[in-house]
Amino acid sequence: MARYGMALNYKSCINCRACESACKEENGVLLLKDHYRIWVGVKEAEGEFPNISIASQTYHPSQCQHCSNAPCQMVCPTNATYYGTDGMVMVDPVKCILCTYCINACPYDARYVDQRTMTVDKCTFCSDTRLAAGETTTACQATCPTKVRVFGDLDDPKSEISQLLANKEYRQVKEHLGTKPKLFYIV
Amino acid sequence: MKVEISRRRFLQGSVAMSIAGGVGLSSSSMMASVAAPAKGKLSNEDKKVATLCEMCVNKCAAIAHVRNGVVQKLDPNPLFPKSRNMLCARGNSGIRALYDPDRLKYPLIRDGEKGSGKFKRVSWDEAYAYINEKLTKILDEEKDNRSTVAFCAGEGMAEHTFKNFFTMFGSSHFLNHASLCLATTVSGYSLTIGGYGQSDLDNAKYVIMAGANRAEAIVTPDTMDFFKRTNGRGAKLITVDPRFTNTAAKSDKWLAINVGTDLAFVLALTYVAIKEERYNKAFVENYFNGFEAYKEHILSSGYTPEWAEKLTGIHAADIYEVARDFMAHAPQAIYYQGRRTTWSKNDFQLRRAQAIFSAMGGGVDVKGGICFGRGLPLIDHDVAAPIYANAKSRIEKDEAAVVGGSGSWVAFRNMVLENRSPYPIRALFNYKHNPMQNMPNSAKTEAFLKKLDLVVTIDTMPSDTVMLSDVILPECTYLERTDPVVSYGGIEPSIAQRNKAIDPMFETKNTMDIMLGLSQKVSKSLFEISKKHDEDVQMAIEEDGEEAVYKDFDLTKPFLHSQEELNAHAVEKYEGAAQMLKDKGVFYPNMNEYFKKVGVNDYEYYPENKRAYSVLNNKFKTPSGKIECAIPSLAKRGIDAMPMWKKEYEMEIPAGKFRFITGRHAQFTQSGTNNNKLLLNLVPQNYAWINARVAKKLGIKFGDKLEVSSKAGKTTIKAYPTEKIGPDTLFFVHGFGSYSKALSLAYNNGGNDAAILEDGIEPMHGSTCLHDTIVEIRKV
Amino acid sequence: MNTFSLKKLFFFEKTPLNLLMAVLTVGLLAAFFAGVANYILHGHHAYNVTRQHPWGLLISMYVFFVVSSTGLCIISSIGHVFGIKEFQQIGKRAIAGAIITISSGFAVIAFEIGHPVTMMIYNVLTPGLTSAIWWMGTLYGLYLTFICLEFFFLAVKEHHTLSKIFGICGLLVGLAAHSNLGAVFGFLVSRPSANGVFYPVYFILSAMITGCYLIFLMYGFRYKMNFPDKVQVMLVKLSKILGMLLAVLIFFEIWKILTALYGDMPERAATILHAVQHPNFWLGELTLGMLIPFTVILLSNAQAIKATVYASILGMVGIFFMRYGLVHDTLLYPMTTLKRAEYELAPTFVEYFPSITEFAIGLGGIGLSLFLYYIADKVFNLDETEGAHH
Ligand SMILES: Nc1nc2c(c(=O)[nH]1)N[C@H]1C(S)=C(S)[C@@H](COP(=O)(O)OP(=O)(O)OC[C@H]3O[C@@H](n4cnc5c(=O)[nH]c(N)nc54)[C@H](O)[C@@H]3O)O[C@H]1N2
Ligand SMILES: Nc1nc2c(c(=O)[nH]1)N[C@H]1C(S)=C(S)[C@@H](COP(=O)(O)OP(=O)(O)OC[C@H]3O[C@@H](n4cnc5c(=O)[nH]c(N)nc54)[C@H](O)[C@@H]3O)O[C@H]1N2
Ligand code: SF4
Ligand code: SF4
Ligand code: SF4
Ligand code: SF4
Ligand code: SF4
Ligand SMILES: [Mo]
Repeated sequence: MARYGMALNYKSCINCRACESACKEENGVLLLKDHYRIWVGVKEAEGEFPNISIASQTYHPSQCQHCSNAPCQMVCPTNATYYGTDGMVMVDPVKCILCTYCINACPYDARYVDQRTMTVDKCTFCSDTRLAAGETTTACQATCPTKVRVFGDLDDPKSEISQLLANKEYRQVKEHLGTKPKLFYIV
Repeated sequence: MKVEISRRRFLQGSVAMSIAGGVGLSSSSMMASVAAPAKGKLSNEDKKVATLCEMCVNKCAAIAHVRNGVVQKLDPNPLFPKSRNMLCARGNSGIRALYDPDRLKYPLIRDGEKGSGKFKRVSWDEAYAYINEKLTKILDEEKDNRSTVAFCAGEGMAEHTFKNFFTMFGSSHFLNHASLCLATTVSGYSLTIGGYGQSDLDNAKYVIMAGANRAEAIVTPDTMDFFKRTNGRGAKLITVDPRFTNTAAKSDKWLAINVGTDLAFVLALTYVAIKEERYNKAFVENYFNGFEAYKEHILSSGYTPEWAEKLTGIHAADIYEVARDFMAHAPQAIYYQGRRTTWSKNDFQLRRAQAIFSAMGGGVDVKGGICFGRGLPLIDHDVAAPIYANAKSRIEKDEAAVVGGSGSWVAFRNMVLENRSPYPIRALFNYKHNPMQNMPNSAKTEAFLKKLDLVVTIDTMPSDTVMLSDVILPECTYLERTDPVVSYGGIEPSIAQRNKAIDPMFETKNTMDIMLGLSQKVSKSLFEISKKHDEDVQMAIEEDGEEAVYKDFDLTKPFLHSQEELNAHAVEKYEGAAQMLKDKGVFYPNMNEYFKKVGVNDYEYYPENKRAYSVLNNKFKTPSGKIECAIPSLAKRGIDAMPMWKKEYEMEIPAGKFRFITGRHAQFTQSGTNNNKLLLNLVPQNYAWINARVAKKLGIKFGDKLEVSSKAGKTTIKAYPTEKIGPDTLFFVHGFGSYSKALSLAYNNGGNDAAILEDGIEPMHGSTCLHDTIVEIRKV
Repeated sequence: MNTFSLKKLFFFEKTPLNLLMAVLTVGLLAAFFAGVANYILHGHHAYNVTRQHPWGLLISMYVFFVVSSTGLCIISSIGHVFGIKEFQQIGKRAIAGAIITISSGFAVIAFEIGHPVTMMIYNVLTPGLTSAIWWMGTLYGLYLTFICLEFFFLAVKEHHTLSKIFGICGLLVGLAAHSNLGAVFGFLVSRPSANGVFYPVYFILSAMITGCYLIFLMYGFRYKMNFPDKVQVMLVKLSKILGMLLAVLIFFEIWKILTALYGDMPERAATILHAVQHPNFWLGELTLGMLIPFTVILLSNAQAIKATVYASILGMVGIFFMRYGLVHDTLLYPMTTLKRAEYELAPTFVEYFPSITEFAIGLGGIGLSLFLYYIADKVFNLDETEGAHH
């Protein structure tokens, strides 16, 4: 069993949204409002022209954090949200009753209602479309022009992601909530 | 690992539906498709076809996953050094172009007033016959002056196939995107340092990007190589742009420059380097031609940073700092060439000044500088073209100093429109090009297209230009065709080939087949016209007999072989290349040995010592073999031999008005993707950037509708107040606001910049000046 | 049980008030079914809930109904379970009300939850024991069973002991269910303004207040404001209890707001500040829901029963805003403050306004309650059967 996570060299992100479109095509995400598994948060530049603070404008790629202590899983009344293989937080559409409690509970806005299945959907780390078929990358990682994303096994000390996390400083989002997220933003 | 329930199966069904029905992904078909059986694991069952993306000029290598004749997914193909294992947002959305319900499906002939949007469906043969009839009539009336028929093309892998038809046809008028895009910078750098070259952004330590927005205007491998390194990993970036772009957000310094004043900025940088003697003296001494005179010119003209500050709006202190830092990092320092450089009247001189300044650091043909790289030559498939005695020369050849093989589009159009043409221009063949949106002043382009007797357009979508054509020939999309194999020279050269993922849908055809069908139809009858009007032909027939002469004039010759055959022939001299290109899409010598995966994201294409950083041995491909500071031959044609600032370059912006600039967006390609459902899902339309404080004063809030107008015309667009642009500048992304009602998503969606741009040209190549328009705004 | 025929069932005295209530009931009922029809046709598209605001009016109305039910159950238990004499007369009417309101709540939530049938199956097959919703739902199911039995032994087959046993069970399970409903919000670590002990406790408190309001309304209508002495005495006592509960609630709210604002804790302070500035709060929840009834009771020393009945109408409107605010305020603060595309404004407080369909189903649920109450009143004798309990 692996424990997959993703490190993001987010400072290299150019907000091209290749990841977002790759995810939509890979996972058949409908092209409707609110339907996205992955997004890039944009912090608008501060300052007045021409004195714009360059550091203030950041791009913050994000998706489900596959929390080790996932509030979405905790609140699910039917265990439709569950810890899948390799620590991935998954949604079983058969069991999902669409109470949307998990959407309220997720501190990262990572979930949405898929209008086709009328169940909750979110990033799966491509476990069903890619990892199950023997691939080792996610669609968003593979397509990224500046190679922001490093996906891999956190339990394998030799993996690139483990090496990165061992040698670089990183931060996580809303860690104080105790969610133990598995996205790591390399600073 | 267990196979989780896949949402993907829903997609599979829906795409299949869209083909069966010939229409798009309607929500009802989506619902219906839920019942489609899951096909199990994806990758193992798919047919994987190595193709090349054609959503923009870069041609990134992709793998198309095909199942049951349906393209399911496009993935990056890591083998191609130029695209470095990536597909951008547009590349990922290619399937939406393939299955766009609005795409052209059948040949069409106009069936109503031009511009009425009424067409009737015809067979290919009927379409060819119609063209044949018109062409013979025109050429008969024009006494076989083949130049009365013009050809224009956008960039594309099959552009050459189309051009073969043009060459065989014998017109002088080929017009392509160059005079709307990169003519000035390519020639500016070529005439100065001997080539446009490739900026080695993988190794450069200091880069000035002025008016090049690589984070949004994606150019491979520059975009990928550079932004991996900019933030904290070794490369310094100075962005010079009137807007705070995504590139600016990644830079160490952003210099907001007044539009059209870059030449003053570069001259001042040069002044500092010379005055403070910071340039690479050894390099300049050995490899520059005419530097002393240039030095003298710069110093005596007083191009000081203080002088430039007044023009550019950039602080003198910043100019000093950038000049010093640049030279301190040289030769691993680059003044980036730029790409779409059709800005204003001084553009050619600007590019020359950039090239000279860059070369003063010695960063030419060295690692981390501007490199020329190596090529992997292909074997040409040559066909001798006939000579037509009555074909006259280009009408716009004297509209600028040097009008090359790709013409001056704007000058050409305007001459025809204003009846300044020495002989009538009566027909236009158009391949993969949308001048209605991509040439300034769309009202003029519309009048021009209406004036012609015959406009034939080969396109995939009902673009604005298509709607003003007489005959529409639908090409299949790139995923449905094998295109000519292409060799990409550079630091890490390679050959790449697009292989057909699925058969052409509907009645579409690839360019090769279209040209074959057309030439078969018109060849004989056009020969008859030449026979009638061309004395040389008549004489030749007398001497050699008609059959032998016709052989020379047989237009079908370049199109008789299949693309696959031609491609195999082109790479014959590289062992195993043809098969490799078919299977993997990419080939270069020793690829099997060199190509390595070196990390989860990283690949090595060539070992360091095999990369072609330095290839020239300091013999530059200029007339003198050196970096040319002056080009006296140009002076004779009214072009300054050395870059200099002129009063006429200064443009007043009246109070309350704005200077308009245009440009790229990372999720769209010019006008070609404005109907793409996936991309519009990411960004629904373009917005006008207006300075936030100015907007506030005018009572304009985010999303308010503005009417933007100029001398050329007007358009409406929503407002995006932001501090990322100055108070006297207005910007919006190019390519939106289509007039074509047949584009159901693009029609009237956002602002159309071609409607408001004025159509001045610069004096060197007659390239268009896209940033010389003053606009007004009004809230509506 | 009364003997009845269809004819009798739909006969009522045509007083203006009765006619008004009839029209209101039929209108709301029609709205409910129209809303349901639209939901069946268009699914969740008919609702204005979004990714950022996944819960809306229907959840609020569900809460509104189940709080009413719990409130009635608690108030009825004062007499019925704890044996306080004056309150014994409330028993049947209140329990009937409790059954009716929770049924209406279930009816409303059935159209909010995407897959109610799946819920029944997997609530049992793969119960999510860490889920407050699971506990709340399961306990409410149990609660409904108990109070139905309680009512059965109270009104149909009069059996005092059994009805009392089921009454106690119903009360306990109801309290548990109800505090779990509070926990549905209180457990949300992602929402600092809701997270914590406040909601579970506050829910019980506000339930009791709701119960009081409803008792006033039911009795006001039952006796057309001409209260027999016995009822008058009971209502004065109830009014005193209500006054005290309101005082505690107001006290509670003040401290909730003060603790939230104190120290300006990120998210929490901003959310509460934003919420209390909205008329939904200060006009709806605070003025209508608490201050006016409290003032009436205070000024009349709990003697002005008629005025209290009218104040209870306002009170229930206030309670509606309280429930709406509970859901909306919890979801007010965006989970990410970054823009998701260049051409948009940065997310601020999440906005939501219910769709017509949501209004139709949500408020239509009240019609359902009124209708069921009318039937219950006809079918059963909801007044105290003399001498039954002594
Ligand atoms: N206002 C303004 N004008 C500009 C620019 C600007 O920024 N602003 N940019 C300039 C620049 S740099 C350039 S390069 C030009 C580009 O101008 P164009 O060469 O016109 O490029 P596109 O806008 O991409 O339009 C390409 C056309 O080709 C069609 N097409 C796409 N794929 C295929 C295919 O496979 N086969 C065929 N037959 N047709 C296809 C599309 O439907 C579209 O109609 O525009 C220039 N004009
Ligand atoms: N995503 C995407 N990528 C593309 C394309 C696309 O359509 N979409 N098109 C491809 C093609 S054909 C081309 S030619 C290239 C174009 O690539 P670029 O030339 O890099 O891109 P543009 O956005 O056209 O223009 C560059 C910048 O010039 C700035 N500018 C305007 N006026 C001035 C000025 O006076 N001085 C300075 N310093 N800057 C100025 C604009 O604000 C804009 O940010 O991109 C290629 N890549
Ligand atoms: S990010 Fe949200 S959806 Fe993903 S595991 Fe954590 S709580 Fe669940
Ligand atoms: S919406 Fe589905 S996945 Fe989410 S909590 Fe409810 S049942 Fe679980
Ligand atoms: S890992 Fe896969 S599912 Fe998750 S965001 Fe990336 S592409 Fe989408
Ligand atoms: S693909 Fe990479 S660079 Fe582009 S937006 Fe996504 S993370 Fe950023
Ligand atoms: S840059 Fe994007 S659109 Fe252009 S060829 Fe590459 S993937 Fe295709
Ligand atoms: Mo271009």
